[in-house]
Amino acid sequence: MNKEQFFAKLNAPLKKLPAQEREDILQDFEEHFAMGFEEGKTEEQIADSLGSPQQIAKDLVATYHVEKVEETATTANIFRAVWALIGLGFFNLVIVLGPFIALAALIVSGWAVTVAFIGSPLLVMINTVMYPEAFQFFDLFFSVGLTGLGLFIGVGMYFATRAVTNGFVRYLKFNMRIVKGGMKDA
Amino acid sequence: MNVQFKKGVLELCVLVLLDKKDRYGYELVQKISDQIDISEGTVYPLLRRLTKEGYFTTYLKESTEGPPRKYYKLTDNGRIYYQELLQEWREFTNGVNQLIKEGDLDE
Repeated sequence: MNKEQFFAKLNAPLKKLPAQEREDILQDFEEHFAMGFEEGKTEEQIADSLGSPQQIAKDLVATYHVEKVEETATTANIFRAVWALIGLGFFNLVIVLGPFIALAALIVSGWAVTVAFIGSPLLVMINTVMYPEAFQFFDLFFSVGLTGLGLFIGVGMYFATRAVTNGFVRYLKFNMRIVKGGMKDA
Repeated sequence: MNVQFKKGVLELCVLVLLDKKDRYGYELVQKISDQIDISEGTVYPLLRRLTKEGYFTTYLKESTEGPPRKYYKLTDNGRIYYQELLQEWREFTNGVNQLIKEGDLDE
């Protein structure tokens, strides 16, 4: 691989990053090549010891997304970071995607319960409209009780969601630090 | 060597090299790859990440030959982090060495 090919492969995945950041990264590698030339190395030698440009780019993109999540943990940002980290290797398919699915399922189900409880009087009303003869006051009171309970669960879920999100972001950062590096047998 | 091992160790290598003096990227990469078999390109993402986390600052300096070089300088936070990692590393290697020694005695 010569210098031009190396840069082409490195640059393609970096298109997702802000222009300034990309420039900066490419500049680092320009400098690296320039120094290598001074030592009398050929383009091919330098590119070979740098390793796979795709892998380097993946690493940079994942770092970028994990940083973004740290700034603002929106659902979209979390998805991007998880996706980028999974791309780093098969190991992460298990170690990132697994906890992510488990936590996401927990949170989604918690909110589903909240919504169902709060909305339960509505269901009683619909039921009454469709089958007026089946109406019982017990159903109505019970569902109003559920609404109250749902509101409490909702407040709990709000804090739980925030805590879980923060914890997961920390985990992503930790993962970024541990997984992948640069031994050649990677 | 185990793949999962790598990043923490590379971080430590970079921190050790920057503890005594500021160095530029290529110099860091060469120093490390003289001792350990690495894909040299992976050092750069690491340098960027540690810089963003506030462990390094960077500055450009003209060189007598070739283009200006980007130097990395350890911050106070970086020094604290370095000491932590070094401590962890010592405990870890001591533990492993101890086990190896005991293993030899058993045979």
